[in-house]
Amino acid sequence: MSKPTDLVQGTLDLLILKTLALEPMHGWAIANRIKQLSEAVLLVQQGSLYPALHRLEQQALIQSEWGASDNNRRAKYYSLTRAGRRQLERESASWERLSAAISGIVRMA
Amino acid sequence: MESDLDDELRFHLEKQTEANLAAGMPPAAARLAALKEFGNPRLQQEECRDAWGTRMIDNVFDDVRYALRGRRRDPVLAVAATATLALCIGANTVVFSLVNSILLRPLPYPGADRIVWLSEHIGRDSMEVTPGADYYSASDQGRLFEAVAAYDTYTENWNGVEKPEQLDAAQVTPSFFRVMGTRPLMGRYLAAGEEGQKAPDVVVVSYAFWRTRLGADPNVVGSTLTLDRLPNTIIGVMPQGYDFPRATQIWRPMPMDESSERPRSGMRPMRIVRMAARVKPGVGERELESEMVRLTGAIRAEYPKDFETTGFIKGMSITAVPLQKRLVGDLRQALLVLTGAVALVLLIACVNLANLLLARASARHRELAVRLALGSERGRVIRQFLTESLLLALPGGLAGAGLAALTVWLFNVAKPAILVRYPVVSMDLRTLLFTFGLTLATGLIFGMAPALSAARVDIQEALKSGGHGQSSGPRAARLRQGLVVVELGVSLVLLIGAGLLARSFLKLAHTDLGFEPARLLTLRVNLVGPRYAKAEGQVQFYDNVLERVKQSPMVKAASVTTDLPLSGERPFSGGGFQVEGRPRMPLGQMPLANSTVVGRDFFRTLGIAVESGRTFDSRDTSQSPNAVVVNRAFVRKHFPGEDPLGRKLLFGRNASFASGIVGIVGSIRGSALGAEPDPVMYFCECQGGNRFLTRMGLVVRTSGEPRAAIRDVEAQVYAEDRNQPVFDVKTMEERLEDATASQRFQLMLIGAFAGLALLLAAAGVYGVMSYLVTRRTRELGIRIALGARPEDVMRHVLGENLTLVLVAVVMGLGGAWALTRYLKTMLYGVTTLDAPTLAVAPAILAATVILASLGPARRAARVDPMTALREE
Repeated sequence: MSKPTDLVQGTLDLLILKTLALEPMHGWAIANRIKQLSEAVLLVQQGSLYPALHRLEQQALIQSEWGASDNNRRAKYYSLTRAGRRQLERESASWERLSAAISGIVRMA
Repeated sequence: MESDLDDELRFHLEKQTEANLAAGMPPAAARLAALKEFGNPRLQQEECRDAWGTRMIDNVFDDVRYALRGRRRDPVLAVAATATLALCIGANTVVFSLVNSILLRPLPYPGADRIVWLSEHIGRDSMEVTPGADYYSASDQGRLFEAVAAYDTYTENWNGVEKPEQLDAAQVTPSFFRVMGTRPLMGRYLAAGEEGQKAPDVVVVSYAFWRTRLGADPNVVGSTLTLDRLPNTIIGVMPQGYDFPRATQIWRPMPMDESSERPRSGMRPMRIVRMAARVKPGVGERELESEMVRLTGAIRAEYPKDFETTGFIKGMSITAVPLQKRLVGDLRQALLVLTGAVALVLLIACVNLANLLLARASARHRELAVRLALGSERGRVIRQFLTESLLLALPGGLAGAGLAALTVWLFNVAKPAILVRYPVVSMDLRTLLFTFGLTLATGLIFGMAPALSAARVDIQEALKSGGHGQSSGPRAARLRQGLVVVELGVSLVLLIGAGLLARSFLKLAHTDLGFEPARLLTLRVNLVGPRYAKAEGQVQFYDNVLERVKQSPMVKAASVTTDLPLSGERPFSGGGFQVEGRPRMPLGQMPLANSTVVGRDFFRTLGIAVESGRTFDSRDTSQSPNAVVVNRAFVRKHFPGEDPLGRKLLFGRNASFASGIVGIVGSIRGSALGAEPDPVMYFCECQGGNRFLTRMGLVVRTSGEPRAAIRDVEAQVYAEDRNQPVFDVKTMEERLEDATASQRFQLMLIGAFAGLALLLAAAGVYGVMSYLVTRRTRELGIRIALGARPEDVMRHVLGENLTLVLVAVVMGLGGAWALTRYLKTMLYGVTTLDAPTLAVAPAILAATVILASLGPARRAARVDPMTALREE
């Protein structure tokens, strides 16, 4: 898969970081949480979730740890690193700026 | 990490399946839905791996698999590439083996890089030898030497096992073994003090001699060897592989005493020796040089005052060169030229293959465009092409290594004369690494062309015009033509090189020798024993043998000489003389000439022209006045513009020994074919007075094939004296062949390379021509439709080639001019601007191009206009 448009990839990264900001969780839980929080408006393209997770881990924005899941199965839990937290703040800020600008234009009759 | 990833993804699927179950789906559907939603796990695994960066390795394997599949579809390319590369890489490997074995590999002695060879120079000429006194001076005063040795080579008679044999021997000072640094296989080397006239009769034997002649006897130390009729005790055996001086079979003490060499004096004869030394560890080149300058000064200071006035001392210096350089250095230039030539051939092959691949690549541009559009990176594509070309190169490299191994084996089996003097050629690890590296480099070089052209593919362009893309454009055609011009130019350079060498070889081989070499048998004897202690005994022997030999019906004439032409030996003797009637010259300024002692019939036997006066005949005896015959070179040097006949030459301490010049003969080429003849004075053995005639050569003019007379002549020598071995039996033509052996060898190799280059260039021309014709099918069809005749079309197509050839010729001439300066020392009698070569080589090139173009040109002429016009 070559580069999908930057916006989509960046947005997914932001969502993952935000989700993990609350508590560490494994991949499936992240996908589920995003579905819940966005009230099913955003269906994470499951095909891009894990690549994104691994990429973020490569970039040291998140870290992983193997642990036991709720029914004692082996699962990989991700959590934010300090760098990840900083990146989240930066991304959130610019996202809000962007969406405010777009809303401003869209609302103009 | 892989299995972790599996676990992680599996966990996700299980969780999703559970969620689906919980939401009420039946189990099978739940699993299916989870899978569908998840997407392709394989793909995701790949992408994750991508994030890790290990994708690289997988990609390479993919590339290889793809390339292999591609090659199976195109066997012609694979075969052509493998064959071409096998030849070219093989040739390069062979040359590298030569360079490696001869120049790069250190000599097989411990610390061999510290062994140097010392020689004296007078002015710029190297004497190659030194007076014995220098050995003592260097031992005393050389501060940077661990050990200094003097040695000399000669031959000795050995009783032998069945019949007497002549052995190659060396006289050495005991320090010689310390200089070389090896340890004996058995026994010991010479001990300190075992030198001089009173040295014990002990010898060290070589490994080969011990094995082949002494039966590898483990108890050989202490046994006796009868040499020159005297018993000698064997004290040691050299280790295997020791070969200095070359081919020596026995080493014995040098019968030189310091008292007879020092103090230096013009009154005494000086012993001539060669010298070698081992330098202390850690001494640099510059240090050694300045030390030699200092040593020169010290040696000069040892000469008595009267030597100084002669100017002999002023120009004298002693120098040290690494022994390896001395032994193999003369081959260095030739090997470098070969390396250059063979690299050029490989370059041509690369160009050919690049052209071939370019043609293939253009056909694949559509496929490429699709891949790029689907998101493949260009880098990946370039890597793909390079992998393909590497894969194409590898079998060629392997085959080339195999061919090279075979050739090297042949070299060692056939042993061309040129290589006998040098270390054995073999392929070692370094050579294999070289081959491997060269194969990789070759693959990358010719792979660059299609790879770069692929990189520049414009996706839209390629998809639109249905696959022809830019590689079909005029730019591509010009690129291909340009490459062919380069090929042709390089081939021309090689052709010119080969042509120059060929002319040089022919000139050398047909040098006027000054005598008639055909049907001439030569051999040598070394008289040993009390019977030959005095001149009479020696002369008697030769007279008797010559009498006997002349009885044979096969023999037309026979004689003896101390200096066999083309034997590579040092001149028998030489020295200064005075000319009667001219003012006395001081020691250092006396005229010099070589002396040769010959039999009466020598000049007739050899067929040397008598220019004036007479040669020796029956009136010359030990009682008659001393007569000397001089050659033309002597006259030119010492009697320019005068008639020397009747003049007297004076020899000896007080110029007491006078010889009258009775005749002038033509000069003959002596030991070196390429050099100008030296001035020579011939004396007759019939006049006695010289008791050093124990070693002489026999020359026999035969009526038929000289080899047929060998047995007869040998038999006559043995009939005269059972115990005198005959050795170095060769016909003069064989000696002549040996003298030109190295030129012939070089010519063979460069000729082969030039031929190969021409073949490859022709293939390249053929390929490009075919391509061009195909490209212009439409245009050609139109021409024919408009009434052009086949001959016109052919002429048109061939005519275009002419420009190519012209450009190539200009390039080639320029390249040749720049490069042949390196050939200068290898050429004999031919300048680098040799007119015949410069005329013939381009003609050959043009002919080759025309021949290679005939096929495509004929195809062009036969284009069917209908099909051509319909073609898209």
